[in-house]
Amino acid sequence: MEDWSLSKNKYRAEETTTVPRAYLGALRKMALERLAKSGESWSEFVFGKSYDLISRYDIDQIEKDFLASGYRFVASAVVSASEAPEKYKRLEGQDEHEFTGTILNGRMVAGYGDNVMKCDRNIQGTALYLHTMQDVLDLMATGVPPSTIAIVDDAGGTLTAPILAEFVAIVCLGGTVRSHMGILSREYRIPCLMNSSVAGVKNGDRLELNVSAPAKTVGDYQRKLERKTEIWKVTD
Amino acid sequence: MTNYSISYAQLLEANNSIQVLADESYWLCLTRTTQGSKLFPVSPYILLSYLNAFYRYPSLLRKVESQMRAEQCGDLARNFSGGVNTSTIGWCLPAFYLLGRELLINMGLLKPEDAVEDVVYVLDFWRRVQLSYHRNDGHKMNREFGHRSQLLPERTLQVFEADIFPVSIGDPLHTAAVRFLAAMSQFQFLSHCECRLGIMNHGPYRIGERSELIVRDFVNVGAGDFPWLDGIVDDIHYASLTIPMAIKNTHFHIVDDWGSLESEPAFQVENLIGVGLYTSDRLTETYIPVAMETIDSLTKKFKELQELVIDATNKLWARFAGWSRREMLQAGALVYFSTPKDLAHMSGTYEQADWMEIDERASRFEPLLNDEFGNDCLTELVGTISLPSQKTHEYVMSMHNDSPRRMISQIPYSIVAGHPYTKSSGPCFPGSTVLQKKVGKWRTSRGLLTEVEYNRLAQSFLPASCSAKLGFLDDSWVKYHFTDADADEIYYLSQDQSRHLKRKGARLTRSDIVSITGNHW
Repeated sequence: MEDWSLSKNKYRAEETTTVPRAYLGALRKMALERLAKSGESWSEFVFGKSYDLISRYDIDQIEKDFLASGYRFVASAVVSASEAPEKYKRLEGQDEHEFTGTILNGRMVAGYGDNVMKCDRNIQGTALYLHTMQDVLDLMATGVPPSTIAIVDDAGGTLTAPILAEFVAIVCLGGTVRSHMGILSREYRIPCLMNSSVAGVKNGDRLELNVSAPAKTVGDYQRKLERKTEIWKVTD
Repeated sequence: MTNYSISYAQLLEANNSIQVLADESYWLCLTRTTQGSKLFPVSPYILLSYLNAFYRYPSLLRKVESQMRAEQCGDLARNFSGGVNTSTIGWCLPAFYLLGRELLINMGLLKPEDAVEDVVYVLDFWRRVQLSYHRNDGHKMNREFGHRSQLLPERTLQVFEADIFPVSIGDPLHTAAVRFLAAMSQFQFLSHCECRLGIMNHGPYRIGERSELIVRDFVNVGAGDFPWLDGIVDDIHYASLTIPMAIKNTHFHIVDDWGSLESEPAFQVENLIGVGLYTSDRLTETYIPVAMETIDSLTKKFKELQELVIDATNKLWARFAGWSRREMLQAGALVYFSTPKDLAHMSGTYEQADWMEIDERASRFEPLLNDEFGNDCLTELVGTISLPSQKTHEYVMSMHNDSPRRMISQIPYSIVAGHPYTKSSGPCFPGSTVLQKKVGKWRTSRGLLTEVEYNRLAQSFLPASCSAKLGFLDDSWVKYHFTDADADEIYYLSQDQSRHLKRKGARLTRSDIVSITGNHW
């Protein structure tokens, strides 16, 4: 049975991403089939039998059929992948890569990021990656080592909530200066780079962040202006 | 259904509201935030909240209006800091409902001509509550005011200006206030499952040649509707906290319909030059000062609250760390869905099962809501505007992106000509949740109350400044009647607990405040 919202849509748009296209298309097809099966008009069906004829079981089946193709979802929350590893691709942490940084003006550039807040001077500290709740729990038990620069891939403000205030600086591998992590680092006055990329940085490496550089503004984002600031690896 | 009951004029008005909200939603979603979390499945819970909103808001708003009209709710909302505010009512209420409708249209389970009476009613409710809430600045949305929000009357602002304490960077009160604001903001993100609905700002209000007053509200602070806060916030004895802040050399040029700020230059804490602390709720006459007797007492209070909030953050994080994905999904969805819940508290119609459960018509979709579907579908819905229902004819140039796309479907006018349509999605269906049941009471200015006690008090208490006698005596009336006894009476209500202005009455101007306090902001 043809997808009504496409076949009857003069402009014949369809979803641009894989999973919404598959799921919403399957739902539209199911709705049409169940409407025909009900023998009712749309007006009778829409807020009546549709609830019985399109149940949680039916919707669960859409996911099962889709996963049977071998597709695995990209996770964003740690709990999603850890609870249902059969449905999700493995969450990759960005650490322990072979060094691919560059030497610029005699300094080893190990990454770049968007500066949240212009500080009086740069900050140095020791790199520590945090990916999971277990990482945070471990630090809650042992205490955050002095001069820790946290490297996190969570642009939200909740994963590291209990220990955030104890970092000397933060390198966030996602988000923008307006993400919750950006907002909170500003409130705590903790130097922070958002939307960062790093290469060749391992736990325990000594880093310097160029946070005395100008902050990236919302206007910069709107005008699509690049304003990346450096993450240096301190080797001496 | 062809028994037509909505007028052409009502449809025109509803479609105008739909388009205004769609235009502003695109601007907000594209320029004002990027939301993500490794802890919570945020996009999936947002979509679940939209579906729950579509099925439940019409019934729950009608339940509110069985006791209190929308415009009276707006009047009350100006009088205290609570969950009826710029973001929750100004944008979330209509946008969540309409985005749920749009999602269902793209699922093939709804057509734009369905639930027409519900759509018209929800938007009419929104317009009335917004016009009333924004009565003092004369707008419906911050967007109409060039992204500004001046909700408060002169009498409240005078008390804030007179009683906040001057601070400068490095002094104990400045340090304590800044540290408290950081800890409180973090707790609000956590307790609201990674969204910013617990933090609100309004203003700016002029308080000097180069100084502005911003009012920051933290809502849902003490024990309230969220069951996951049971046992976590027992020692925080305030339903909400309000921090008026005087800020120099900084112009806040955007206060948007999410209540978030933008300034030129960027706000720096060294420009914070005045600060105060208040609490309020549905059962207070107006804002109540907290430890505002002296600089020392306020400093001590900020430190004490900061400690309590840090402790609550650690306890709550540990609770969340043991949660399943489904608990996180439903909790986040309920934070979003329940944004209008304080309308129910205001009207004394609050029932936990109405606002803290997922309607079975919405929960059936949970199996769809994996992280990738959530992220991509939400991006298509509010970012790229690329779902099938959102494409228009090729001549259209949408506001902000010039593309032939419309975020939210209009109601077709064909129904005026007798074409089929349906009226309503019907009453709430049974709901459920996998979350722990709330067992604690509600923190209010009258102590800890049960749901029944809170509703009964809300139904019997009307602040005097919202009474039939005084409620319509606005700043426009005061301008020409400031010597009347009624003008003094309403100013006395705001001044009742003021350190500097108690019973000073309605004749005060800003220069009087400066003379009384000696503060030149």
